[in-house]
Amino acid sequence: MVLEIKGLSKTYPGAAQPALSDVSISVPAGQFLVILGPSGAGKSSLMRCINRLVEPSSGEVVFQKTRITKADLRAVRRQFGMVFQQFNLVKRLSVLTNVLTGRLGYRSVLRSLFYSFPESDKRIAFECLARVNMEHKAFQRADTLSGGEQQRVAIARALAQEPKVILADEPVASLDPKIARQVLGYLRQVAKELGITVLCNLHQVDYAREFGERIVGMSRGSVVFDGAAGDLNEDVLRKIYYDNVTAG
Amino acid sequence: MAAVLPARPGWRLHHIVVAAGAIAFLAWCADGVNLRPKEMAGALPVIGEYFARMWPPKWEFSAVLWKPALETLYIALWGNVIALFIGLPLGLCAAGNVVKSLAVRSAAKAILNLLRSISELIWAVFFVAAVGLGPFPGALALGVNFGGILGRLYAEALENIDPGPVEALTATGAGRLQVIAYAMLPQALPQFVTYNLYWFEVGVRSATVLGMVGAGGIGFELVTTIRLFEWRECGVVLLLILAMVTVIDLASTYIRGRIYGS
Amino acid sequence: MTTSLLAEEAQRGTQRLTKALLWGSGAAAVLWFTATQIGLNPAALVRGVPFMLDFFGRMFPPDLAHLALLRDATVETVQIAVWGTVIAILLSIPLALLGARNTTPHIVVFHLIRLLLNALRSINELVFALIFVAAVGLGPFAGVLAIALHATGMLAKFCAEEVEGVDRGPVEAMQATGAGRLQVILFGVVPQVVPAFVSYAVYRFDVSIRAATILGLVGAGGLGFSLIKTMKLFQYHQTATCILVIFVLVFISDWLCARIRARIL
Repeated sequence: MVLEIKGLSKTYPGAAQPALSDVSISVPAGQFLVILGPSGAGKSSLMRCINRLVEPSSGEVVFQKTRITKADLRAVRRQFGMVFQQFNLVKRLSVLTNVLTGRLGYRSVLRSLFYSFPESDKRIAFECLARVNMEHKAFQRADTLSGGEQQRVAIARALAQEPKVILADEPVASLDPKIARQVLGYLRQVAKELGITVLCNLHQVDYAREFGERIVGMSRGSVVFDGAAGDLNEDVLRKIYYDNVTAG
Repeated sequence: MAAVLPARPGWRLHHIVVAAGAIAFLAWCADGVNLRPKEMAGALPVIGEYFARMWPPKWEFSAVLWKPALETLYIALWGNVIALFIGLPLGLCAAGNVVKSLAVRSAAKAILNLLRSISELIWAVFFVAAVGLGPFPGALALGVNFGGILGRLYAEALENIDPGPVEALTATGAGRLQVIAYAMLPQALPQFVTYNLYWFEVGVRSATVLGMVGAGGIGFELVTTIRLFEWRECGVVLLLILAMVTVIDLASTYIRGRIYGS
Repeated sequence: MTTSLLAEEAQRGTQRLTKALLWGSGAAAVLWFTATQIGLNPAALVRGVPFMLDFFGRMFPPDLAHLALLRDATVETVQIAVWGTVIAILLSIPLALLGARNTTPHIVVFHLIRLLLNALRSINELVFALIFVAAVGLGPFAGVLAIALHATGMLAKFCAEEVEGVDRGPVEAMQATGAGRLQVILFGVVPQVVPAFVSYAVYRFDVSIRAATILGLVGAGGLGFSLIKTMKLFQYHQTATCILVIFVLVFISDWLCARIRARIL
């Protein structure tokens, strides 16, 4: 198990209901795990609790047999690549520099302040761009790219970290279907090639069925289903999407 | 059948009270500054006459004006450079997304406010007493005052950036300084440049009067011509200032076009 | 592919570096030259530090009894700023419409008005104040006119640019109804620029308060006179009081204007 989530709970200050209730998931290395659920199900909160962008209220996350704590977050975070719904590239910087920012976790602060990266980092960056077929646009500014292209660069940025796990938070919600499938395809392919574990938040059932090896269904902060894509039948979907009662 | 029209929100009592209050306030202010319609009517021809005395301008006078005019530009330039060195660190400390500590932010904001509130002319008087006459105290005065102004603008620009890339870079394991350098500053940079160009222009205008208190620039010549009632020479100085500011304005627009166009 | 890209990146890197060095040394040269011209002297600054500290030291504690004497001057400062801005608002509405390409009656008028506005903008309030004091005498009246003229230049130019940038849609719709030119301007153009205009006018008031605090230096009313007088007479405790009052005044004006502008936009 590369990642074990144990009893994770999170209630945001001032909120009536918890965002996460006692979530436990064990993830073997190399799996493409889809977390499926409507908006508000707690998928984003779960992901951000894993790499500690958000502090969980209780529970723990164990990564490669070590508990994740507040100490040495930098070293832990660079093992987790993250892909966002809004791509979150720095628009004014070039595609190459954006991918290179994935290496910042490994570089000393001083040298990176001068926008100077070693040759080895640049090599890694170009290779990651090649994996998503974006190396021909390496020197363009990020905001000259289309949505799908920006997301591919974002994936390359995550890959540049040489991560063990990629956390993809609704990576295709802003893209139209054909491009969305292409991006998810890239994600699955590179993960397989490099043996990276992927946790992918999705709210689209058909994408989940198509790309997920294993699906964890969430509704209102709790896990309501955990199984293979093939087991995703009508009853399960009803539990995820239409039930108004929290799982007892 | 005629449709029923919705009732128009007419003049309510509190509208009338506010309007009356505003008029009373304006009347009180006018009284305080001796602003009376008769005075205004009388003043305008007098002022017109004074401006008429500036025509035709005594062009020969411009020979002695070139050095002070250039000095004015240099004061504005160095004023802005000093303002950058004062404003950028303070601005960074005052931005809510850069520095977490409320104490540090409040201290930075307080300093910036103090620097801004005191007019550059007053700073100029102060610096002239401290380092002597000349354009140097003028540049210092401008730098200190504009540092306060620019610092606050920088802080606002930083607080208004898209937080998405900031979150993304934090998630890669980048340290705080790296996140600031790669996600925050690149986003805020166009705004910074715009502010600096605009305030350089303002600086030139401000620098034209610093000479009044001995802080260099064309202000001294200007004041002298007015005090000696040399109106035709005064006209030349004013035209020169107008020309300087216009040229700077055009150059600034051009530079801004190049930056945003790229 | 990667090797050729690395080579290209290296080349770009050298280009960037050369460009940075060229611009950097150019800027450094300009700065160095101008620094010598204006006598930039860090040593003098350091030598001046004891004086500055002494000055600040002598200002504390501020003489709060002096506040009573400043009351009138403070009120006068605010009044100057108020009417300076009001006059500027009244004058800049027609001037802006005349000075905008899409609302001006004739291109010559446009250029003349723009020239006038540039002239008003480029001349500092203090300079106007000097001239007006000579023309109409000492006192706040000269100050009001000085602030009004400069603010008119700024406000009218800003408004003119807003007018030039309005959405054509509502304008064309109005023209299609057969409305006359003036009606189109009043009902199609003006409503679109009102929020920005009001917001900028409030900002100009804020700036005018700052300017009004120093008009006293040339005898045009306000707190400036008391400030410079106390400084020249070495009454530093009273100077501190003046500075305190100015600071509070500007702070309040700032806060008020920010609130109003936030409500408008």
